[in-house]
Amino acid sequence: MKGWNEFEIGSVLFPFNEDGVQAQGKMREERSYTENSSRSASVAHWRVQKPVHNHDHCINCFFCWVYCPDSSILAKDDQMSGVDYVHCKGCGVCVSVCPTNPKSLLMFDENEANEEALKQWPQKEEKQK
Amino acid sequence: MTKEIKNLKQFSRAAEKFEGANLLCPGCAHGMIIREILNAVDGHIVIGNSTGCIEVSTAVYPYTSWDVPWIHIGFENGSTAVAGVEAMYKALSRKQKYTGDKPKFVAFGGDGSTYDIGFQWISGCFERGHDLTYVCFDNEVYANTGGQRSGSTPIGSSTSTTPAGRVSYGKKDKKKDMLAIMAAHGSPYVAQVAPNKWKDMNKKIKQALDTEGPTFINALSACTTEWRFDCNNTVDIMDLAVDSLVFPLYEIIDGHELNITYRPKNIIPVRDYLGAQGRFKHLFKPENEHIIEQFQKDVDKKWEMLQRREEARV
Amino acid sequence: MALKYELSKVEVWDGNMAASHALRQAQVDVVAAYPITPSTPIVQNYGKFLSDGYIDGEFVMVESEHAAMSACVGAGAAGGRVATATSSQGFALMVEVLYQASGMRIPLVLNLVNRALAAPLNVNGDHSDMYLSRDTGWISLCAYNPQEAYDFNLMAFKIAEDLRVRIPVIVNQDGFICSHTAQNVAPLSDEEAYEFIGEYKQKNAMLDFSKPITYGAQAEEDWHFEHKAQLHHDLMNSHVVIEEVFDLFAKKTGRKYNIVEKYDMDDAEVVIVALGTTVETARVAAKKIREEGIKAGVVSLRTLRPFPYKLVAEALKDVKAIAMLDRSSPAGAMGMLFNEVGVAVLQNSTKKPILSNYIYGLGGRDMTQENLLQIYRDLDANAKANKLTHPTQQFIGLRGKKMAFN
Repeated sequence: MKGWNEFEIGSVLFPFNEDGVQAQGKMREERSYTENSSRSASVAHWRVQKPVHNHDHCINCFFCWVYCPDSSILAKDDQMSGVDYVHCKGCGVCVSVCPTNPKSLLMFDENEANEEALKQWPQKEEKQK
Repeated sequence: MTKEIKNLKQFSRAAEKFEGANLLCPGCAHGMIIREILNAVDGHIVIGNSTGCIEVSTAVYPYTSWDVPWIHIGFENGSTAVAGVEAMYKALSRKQKYTGDKPKFVAFGGDGSTYDIGFQWISGCFERGHDLTYVCFDNEVYANTGGQRSGSTPIGSSTSTTPAGRVSYGKKDKKKDMLAIMAAHGSPYVAQVAPNKWKDMNKKIKQALDTEGPTFINALSACTTEWRFDCNNTVDIMDLAVDSLVFPLYEIIDGHELNITYRPKNIIPVRDYLGAQGRFKHLFKPENEHIIEQFQKDVDKKWEMLQRREEARV
Repeated sequence: MALKYELSKVEVWDGNMAASHALRQAQVDVVAAYPITPSTPIVQNYGKFLSDGYIDGEFVMVESEHAAMSACVGAGAAGGRVATATSSQGFALMVEVLYQASGMRIPLVLNLVNRALAAPLNVNGDHSDMYLSRDTGWISLCAYNPQEAYDFNLMAFKIAEDLRVRIPVIVNQDGFICSHTAQNVAPLSDEEAYEFIGEYKQKNAMLDFSKPITYGAQAEEDWHFEHKAQLHHDLMNSHVVIEEVFDLFAKKTGRKYNIVEKYDMDDAEVVIVALGTTVETARVAAKKIREEGIKAGVVSLRTLRPFPYKLVAEALKDVKAIAMLDRSSPAGAMGMLFNEVGVAVLQNSTKKPILSNYIYGLGGRDMTQENLLQIYRDLDANAKANKLTHPTQQFIGLRGKKMAFN
């Protein structure tokens, strides 16, 4: 860790290595972050369970995207494209708000491989009358 | 520039300005609210943040989760901090030392810093007419410091300073009506929002940010830790809050024109909302049932008042 | 564009008016303030300048001193010149934010018109608020009269905003005796004054959107110490820039200030160390007492912070007896000047001068020539006996039974 004489005065922090206005116009994958952006950190170790996304059932409603408190639902070209497992804390909100039947996101044990999880996906639930 | 969000597909193209790996609890509604606000703004935005959950979770040296200029001074002065920035913007613009686009000036604070300790500062900022939007992240408790009661905590809530006990049903006092107070300042726009109603929230955020002068947003923010519900249920709990009318969604324009912006198709009983949270669990004991009844009566009365005011247009 | 204010070569200003004109000439971008006696006229004058078109910055009259300093920090972080004024209770209310201002390295200027702290409530001058500022991480400059209140305000901006410093600065002047007493003041013209201070240099500005910045992060045990140490380091080294600015100011005006001011110290054997308007009163007494054959001198500080440890010791190294005069209730200890100057002297002096402490003038009680002459006579007795001939700490000008300690 840096010594007292090795950092900017005023305990200020800067998130970008590049011009901030330009960076804000880009999607995050294309930005150059500093080591001081929490983007550079991980909360993967917070998780006990992780959400797994199943393309087959997803209708791209983006409920998971808007309600994810940690901006960890990845979207590309108007398609839901997966979960950012570096910044996902495993809260499960995305699974709760998923409206499809069966759900397109489900929680699995953190150690379960996603391919294995997809194999275990439940069938469509019949509505109980 | 603030975007009006027509659909979430369009919204998902937003370049995010708030980063993950912050230290907010899993399932914290604060993160949802921050994203829904920042993702709706395309141009410059400056944020003043009071001490609270957001501050201690998003700017812990050597990390920041903010991609926009952000300042935190103390518990009580997030409003005045950003008012200072706004004043400097005005001065430098007049002297032609700042020639960029006009930024949006936004203050974030929890209900502790809004309803309680920072109230005077907010009142001063609104009286002086700074061009800022104050957003209260209302989780009805001092969540950052371990769940003490605030002026926003509803009656009957068990908090760490008003714990339910053998002879107590929890907090004795009712939640302060902050929106009415801010409207009474003559603010051109005040509104209550809930992030689970994202479309309604986006419309109000846009109006607040695009309105000249001091505007106020009270945002419902369900707290998984202090309200005591499972962290995956944050949106469901907030659905219960707005559908039971415990947290009605409405706006007041120019201090008098009140519009209800969301009417639940099926109004659910308040007890369903209370029953879903640990903080109200003790109310279901026979000796405390009268508090649930009183809570329901208060909610009904408020709803009646809102409807009448909307109708009367005064 | 603000109108130019035509000034005479010599104006008759009190300390408050002098400070107001300095703020006006500095073309401060944002003044956020709240009125409190005796600094109120600074803000009132400024408001009048604004109303008459002499100011084109923002003037934000907030609802409390805490809000004033909060707005100043926000405005300063945004990236421009900022100043305010206060006294006493208002200063006490600001204290929380003073630490934030220095910790965030916001180079703002605060006029502190010194006044007592309640209870009991008192509007008059003493140094209680100045002493309250000691550990806030600000540079603290001391003016003794209206001319100096003007001069030090101009210099304060230049010192605070220097890229080697970036530390907020307090300019102290005594409530009423300086702030409300009109004297001749020779101001610079508006152009000269602004030219002396120079354009504000932005650093880490929030309004620089090309470099989004986070101000006010939390830093716990793994980082806090380093940040505080960095501020201390830069504060301790700020004397270099302060001296530079004093020299530049002397070149411009002929008025030369020194971090430690010495009066009749060439052969002085007994010395009073003081702050504020008392310095000038003590100089009169020193001159007078020399008629009795007592070799008296006066040493005073221009920078309470950074404390001029070496320089003050150097100034006092050959004397026989020293009285440190503290105009603030020591509240259970020896006075601050006694502790700080005393240790500096003992650490650096080969001789061991006799040290004593006088508490005086609380709540605006007059410090009379009689009092000061008596102190010199005490010192003379100490010097001759080569030991204290009275208790170390004495209260002077106090009614009732004599109070003394140690």
